[in-house]
Amino acid sequence: MRMNETEKELVAMVLAGRTEAFEPLVTPYRRPLVALAYRLTRDREEALEVAQEAFLRAFRSLGRYDVSRSFRNWLFQIAANEARDRMRRGARERAALEDAVHDGSRAPGPEAGREGQEVRADLMDCLSALTPREREVFVLRDIEELDIRETARALRCSSVSVRVNLSKARRKMRDAIRARHPHLEETR
Amino acid sequence: MTCSKARKLMALYAGGDLSERRTRAAGAHLDSCPACRKELEGYRRALARAKAAAGAEIAPDWSEGQWRALMARVMGDATKRKKEQAGRVKSVPRARWAAASGAAAALVLAAVMLLQNGSGFRPGSVATAPGAAEPMAGVLGDPSAQDVVSVTLVSQETGLQVVWFFNRNFEWKGDRE
Repeated sequence: MRMNETEKELVAMVLAGRTEAFEPLVTPYRRPLVALAYRLTRDREEALEVAQEAFLRAFRSLGRYDVSRSFRNWLFQIAANEARDRMRRGARERAALEDAVHDGSRAPGPEAGREGQEVRADLMDCLSALTPREREVFVLRDIEELDIRETARALRCSSVSVRVNLSKARRKMRDAIRARHPHLEETR
Repeated sequence: MTCSKARKLMALYAGGDLSERRTRAAGAHLDSCPACRKELEGYRRALARAKAAAGAEIAPDWSEGQWRALMARVMGDATKRKKEQAGRVKSVPRARWAAASGAAAALVLAAVMLLQNGSGFRPGSVATAPGAAEPMAGVLGDPSAQDVVSVTLVSQETGLQVVWFFNRNFEWKGDRE
């Protein structure tokens, strides 16, 4: 997905000092960016903070943006880096928190009575089974539909590394979905 | 291709992420292996569900007020950066001007000293202004203390002369009009 002409014009305006052009430039990505951050962090507050920082970083480094790239992918790259930085910084605290949440979500319960929305949210919780790198690769490639090359670029790693992690991530996701929702598997 | 090898590739095959050569090889195996086709279906279902779940997920979002505040923060950041850049632009020439002025003053001083002393500044000799009849009392009084230099500034408009005296260490010792 390449940058469209309107985006190019808006970028040029911001770089020329018309900072008010930044808002129309990023508004289309407001929700997608928060959603990406949420999928990477699995924490609503953290996701908002990651997205906020990503927008600020994007504004500050707009001069270094390569207009031949997709603006969306560039924003996603910034958000993914920010999410990773934050997760590294608070790894211990988050690990403890995730364990607590995990324990709760593994508790057996009748699935039949759940709303479809909740089941879908549970499916997304399967992302917790992935390592941070696998989650990043899975979310960018399979949810946000970046191609392998763009995913590698966003995560500053090789295409081989993306493929290795993607393969592991898909296997874990399949196993997690099967384990959590065996009835969904059977209905197909 | 064996089933074992095909299954190692299955996760990437399901998303179309294998090279053409491997895709062909895995495809050929799948055509003849129902068990591996079932394995592939499992991956495809999982991927489809994850995508559907992501689409249906209610991700957090800012309230309009929070979004406005964020954009205001960006604008504030821009204003701050502009001011910082403007400050840098102003301060650099100021520093350069100060250095240049200092260098120019030193050059003028050196030139005046050369003019006063003919072949240059010679410690141990006394240089005085043209027409300055007497060396400054107290400063040049002792013939052994000859390490004194004088600099004469002459106004071309008024003819007023000012003589500055410096010791060997170029410390100002007095002046005379």
